[in-house]
Amino acid sequence: MSVLPIEAPARPVERAKPTGMGRILDREAPLAYLLMFPGLFILALFMAYPFGLGVYLSMTDKYVGFANYDFIGFDNFRYLFQDTIFQRTVRNTFVYSFFTVPFKLVLGMGLALVLNNHFHFSRFMRAGLLLPWIVPTAISSLAWLMLYDSVLSPFSILFKNWGLIDSNINFLGSQYNAMAALCLANVWRGVPFFAVSILAGLQAVPPDLHEAAALDGASAWRRFRDVTLPVIRNIVLISTLFSVIWTFADFQLVYVLTKGGPANSTHVFGTYAYQLMGFSDLGTAAAVSVSMFPILAVFAVVLLRYVRAED
Amino acid sequence: MTDQRVDDLVREATRMRYSRRGIMKRASALGLSAAAANAAVIQSGKAAPKRGQAPSVRQNRTISILAGTYFVPEAQEFFDQQATEWGTQLGVTVQTDYINWPDIQARIAAAVEGGSGPDVIEMRDVWPNLYFENMVPVDDLANAVGESYGGYFDWVTSSVAVDGKWFSVPVGASSAAFAYRMSYFQEAGLADPKVFPATWDELFAIGANLKEMGKPLGQALGQSTGDPPGFAYAYMWANGAMEREEDGKTIAFNTPEFVEGMQKFVDAWPLAFDDTGLAWDDSANNRAFLSDQIAATINGSSIYIEAQKAKRGASTADYEVVVDPADIWHATLPAGPSGPFVQLGSWSYAAMTYSPEQEAALEFITWWTERDHFVPWLEAQQGYIIPMGPGLTDLEVFTGDPALAPYATVAEIARNKGYAGPADQKAAQVSSLYIITNTFAEAIQSGDAQAAIENGAAQLQRIYGR
Repeated sequence: MSVLPIEAPARPVERAKPTGMGRILDREAPLAYLLMFPGLFILALFMAYPFGLGVYLSMTDKYVGFANYDFIGFDNFRYLFQDTIFQRTVRNTFVYSFFTVPFKLVLGMGLALVLNNHFHFSRFMRAGLLLPWIVPTAISSLAWLMLYDSVLSPFSILFKNWGLIDSNINFLGSQYNAMAALCLANVWRGVPFFAVSILAGLQAVPPDLHEAAALDGASAWRRFRDVTLPVIRNIVLISTLFSVIWTFADFQLVYVLTKGGPANSTHVFGTYAYQLMGFSDLGTAAAVSVSMFPILAVFAVVLLRYVRAED
Repeated sequence: MTDQRVDDLVREATRMRYSRRGIMKRASALGLSAAAANAAVIQSGKAAPKRGQAPSVRQNRTISILAGTYFVPEAQEFFDQQATEWGTQLGVTVQTDYINWPDIQARIAAAVEGGSGPDVIEMRDVWPNLYFENMVPVDDLANAVGESYGGYFDWVTSSVAVDGKWFSVPVGASSAAFAYRMSYFQEAGLADPKVFPATWDELFAIGANLKEMGKPLGQALGQSTGDPPGFAYAYMWANGAMEREEDGKTIAFNTPEFVEGMQKFVDAWPLAFDDTGLAWDDSANNRAFLSDQIAATINGSSIYIEAQKAKRGASTADYEVVVDPADIWHATLPAGPSGPFVQLGSWSYAAMTYSPEQEAALEFITWWTERDHFVPWLEAQQGYIIPMGPGLTDLEVFTGDPALAPYATVAEIARNKGYAGPADQKAAQVSSLYIITNTFAEAIQSGDAQAAIENGAAQLQRIYGR
C-alpha cells in the first residue's frame, strides 16, 4: 500500500515589490498619463499647434509669400464683420448646417429603424448604406457635379426627352437653386452616418423591454417614444453634434460644386477662407477660420452639458 | 575681412533661404559694398544664368514644373516631350504637373508658405506681384528673351513685371474673342456672317433673336479665372468704368455710364443669354458651344481647335462634339460707349527661391524660351496662346487661318487688371476675389445694377484703400 505523500500546504505567493518604473506604473494616475501621452502628443502636434498658429495668424497682416508682417490685433475681425461676403458666408453656413442636419437625422433614423429589422438582404443593405459615407467626398462631389452640369446633366437630358422642359435645368446658376443643390448632396452624403450610428444604438435596446411594452398594449409609436428613444437619445445627440461640426466646417462638396458662387452666394467658412488664403490674404483667411470656433464651441458645450446632465 | 563677411552671408542666405532681394537687404544691413553684395548673390546661386550660356546643371537631379491644364491637349503632350528632351540631355528628371486653373494659386500659396514645392511655376497674369519675394529675379534672362522676340507688348510688361523688375519670363497668354456660329447669326438677322455686331447693344439685340431660336448667347460668369473676367473687365471698360484712376487709389467703378451699361446687360440676360451661365467655369462654355447649346461665347481658340479635331475624328472631349468648324468664326469683343477693350495678362515662367534646384529650373526656362524650342511650342498651341512680343506674330500659326485672326490682333485694345493703375498686388487680389465678375453675377441675380455696382465699388475701396 502506497502512501501518498502529504502535500505541504501551499504558501501564498509573494508578489515581488515593484521598484522604480514599475512602482510608478502601478499607480493609476501616472499610467493614465503615460497611456494618454501618444494621443495627446499627436493632438498637440496636429491640432493644437495649427489651431494656435491659426489664431496668431488671424491677428496679423500676413500675406502668402511675404516674409514681413505685423501683429494687428483684431483688425482682421473688424474688417470681416463689415465685409458683406463674410456676412453672407455666415448666413450660408448656418442655413447649410441647420437645414441639412434635421433632414439627415430624420432620414437616418428612419433608415436605421428599417434596417434594424431582419429581412432578405438586410445585411447587404446595411453594408450598401455606408457607400455615400465611405466614398471620398471629392469623388462623390464630382458625381454630383456631373448630375448638376448645366450642359450635360442627365436630369436635363431626361426631362427634355420627355418633353417636360425646353432648356436645361439651372441647378447651380442661381443662388437659391445652388444652395438647394448643395443641401441635397450634403443630405445624401450625411444620412448614412446617422443611420449607422443610430442602428448601433438600436441594437442595444433590450428586446424584452419592447415585448413587455407590447404586452401592456403600447402602440408602435409609444414603444418608439418611451422605450427606443430614451436608449438611443445620447447617440442621437452626439451624432447631431458631430454632424453639425462637420457640416459647419464642410469644404469639399461646396468647393467642387460651386466654389462659393454664383456671386459668393454659396460660400461657407471653409470655401471663403480657402479663397482668401489661396489668393494670398493669409491673415484674413485665418480670421475667417477662427471665427468658426466660438460658434462651434458654444454648440458643443451646450450639447455635451445636456448629455451629461441627463446621465 | 570683407570676404569673411560675404562667406558668412552666403551661409546665412542658404540656411535661411533668402531671396536675392533678401540677400541684398541683409548685405545692406551688414554694411557690405554693392560689389560684395553681388558676390554674395552669385555665390548663393540666386543670380539668373545668361541666355545662351552652356548648361551647367549637375547630373541626376529632379525638377518639377507646375502649370495649368492645357485646353489644347496636344500642346500639353508636346511640352512634356520638350521637358523630357531637355532633361535627357542634362541628366535631369523633369516632372510636370497640370492642375485646374482656379487651383493653381492655392498650390502656389502652399508651396511658398511651406518653403517646398514645384521648382518652376507657370504664373498667370498679375500673379508675379503676389509672389515675387519667392521668385528668383530674372532681369537678364527676361530682357534677353524680350529682345529676341522684338520686345514685349505693353500688356505683357504691365502684367508681369513687378515695379520694372522681372521675376518671371513672359510667354504670352490665351486670348479672348467671340467664337460664334455663322449660320445661326445669319438666321438671326446678321447681314454678313463674317461681320460680327460692332456694339454690345447690337449684339444683345441679335442675341434676343438667337434665344428665340433656342440658341442663345453664352457667357461664363462663375468664379473662375479665364472667360468670366475676360468678359467682365472688357464690358466694364467699354462702358466707361475702371477699377481705379491712375493714382491707384481713387475708385472709378461706380459711374453713371457703367450703371446704364450694366442695366442693359441685366435686361439682356434673360432675353439673349443662356441663364445657366452663372455657374459656368472656363470649360463649361466650351461644352455648351460644342454641344450646340449656344450660338456664341467669349473664349480662346480652343473651341475651334476642338471642333477641327472632332471633324478629323480625333476629338479628345468627353462629350460629343457636334459643331462643324466651318461654321465657326471669331470676332473681337464689341464696343461700348468708350470703345472696344479686351483684358489681357501674360503668363510667365518662374523659378522659385525655395527650390534647391534653382539653377536647373533657370536652365530649363532659358532653354525652353529659346526660339528653337519656344516657337514649336507656340505652334503646338495652334493659335490658342498669343505671343508676348511682335516678333512672333507673323508665324504661320497666327496668320494662316483667317478664322483665328482676331486673337492675334486684340493686343491693340488690351488693358491690364487694375487699370488705370498698375497691375499690382492689390489688382491681383481684386482679381483673385472675382470682385468684378461677381458684380455682374450679383446684378443679374438681384436685377439691380446700381446696387451691385455700389457693392462692388465698396469692395474695391476696401482693398485699394487699405
